[in-house]
Amino acid sequence: MKLIQLDINNQVYEIPVNPRDLLVDVIRKKVGLTGTKKGCGQGDCGACTVLINGVPVLSCITLAISCLGKKISTIEGMADEQGNLHPIQQAFVDHGAVQCGFCTPGMILSAKALLDQNPLPSVLEIKRSISGNICRCTGYKKIVEAISAAAKEISTGEVK
Amino acid sequence: MYLHEFEYYAPMTAEEAFGLIGRLGSNAKVLAGGTDLLLMMKEKMLTPQYLIDINGVPEFQGISYEPAKGTVIGAATKIAEIEHSSLIKEKYFALHQAAGELGSVQVRSMATIGGNSCHASPAAETTTPLVALGAKVLLASDAGERELPLEDFILGNRKTALGEKELVSRFILPEPAPRSASCYGHIGLRNAMEIDAVNMAVNLVLEVSGRKIKELKLVMGSVAPKPLVSLEVPAILVGHELSDDLVEKAALAACGEAKPISDIRASAEYRREMVYVLARRLLYQAFNAAQEV
Repeated sequence: MKLIQLDINNQVYEIPVNPRDLLVDVIRKKVGLTGTKKGCGQGDCGACTVLINGVPVLSCITLAISCLGKKISTIEGMADEQGNLHPIQQAFVDHGAVQCGFCTPGMILSAKALLDQNPLPSVLEIKRSISGNICRCTGYKKIVEAISAAAKEISTGEVK
Repeated sequence: MYLHEFEYYAPMTAEEAFGLIGRLGSNAKVLAGGTDLLLMMKEKMLTPQYLIDINGVPEFQGISYEPAKGTVIGAATKIAEIEHSSLIKEKYFALHQAAGELGSVQVRSMATIGGNSCHASPAAETTTPLVALGAKVLLASDAGERELPLEDFILGNRKTALGEKELVSRFILPEPAPRSASCYGHIGLRNAMEIDAVNMAVNLVLEVSGRKIKELKLVMGSVAPKPLVSLEVPAILVGHELSDDLVEKAALAACGEAKPISDIRASAEYRREMVYVLARRLLYQAFNAAQEV
């Protein structure tokens, strides 16, 4: 075991880790942030998606020890300090894009990574950006609509 | 789905990395993107005692171009960086296309170009265009460096010429010839997150006249244990203008050269048929693109 510091949602946690510990397990079990989901454990389903330095990665095939000095963002860091949902989260609620909810944290983080780079993406760009996030409820249409609406909301918000 | 116990090293310089590999040898594995390695470790197909994480080594990162010499890509460069590089898109279009088709956004932001070659999956996306583009790999160790054409580096299904104290440090892509174009195509069962049933890359150079083919490389992926470089297609097409008859003949020749197997993703028969389809499609595409250069 080695004591390392992980920066998750701008908060630094001191956590004892073994080199073999996967980021998803450390986030869920040692830090206690259970919003990040563990689905397939093989990097296929995208449920465990978190952002590392703004880039979406699969925390089920990332070693926690390799994340020293990097900024990790999980779904818990999306809402503001007053608890107001991020526009992408709000759009998912408003458009019925959450069914069972298991894919939702990963979907929202993939969407955030897209909109941070490309504020007004086309539908095709949205679909490509979530192509590594599998929704077994198959609610893709509403998810794409929600991301599209959030993009408009965020862009017009910035104009004001 | 937990990993076994291992020791973890994160060298910050190439010398440190070579030193570790030299010392730990076959008991160590190099961790780049981890999208293949960690899966194989989870399945207990590999149980290295040591992991050497090379992502912190600047020498293994990035894309740089020198006019007339070509392009150097660090082995730990992420597939996403290659996908979004305007230089790669302009000069090595087939590689740009293949990088954009590998895995998902998440996988592309983790996986590396070196990892894709070292894993040496017969269905790898980037090895096919890299071979077509004439890429060389630089194998480095404490003892020095050696250079190998990628097609000689990959020996077969998950087999490479990598020595136990070596790592792949860089890829070198030659400057594309004037009036040349490359393109990539693939056939899979779905549009995203699929593993190619067949893929192919064509790199074509036209003569000064702009009509006749001067040089041509057609490489097939996922139809043999390693990227398969066609010998017959260039023999049919080089020195000629592209015509429907010749394309037909070349595509049939490529079919004959392919050595596909039947597996979970496609039957051998279907794969062979798709070699024909892709060869026709890509030969026209590359020929037309080269005329517009």
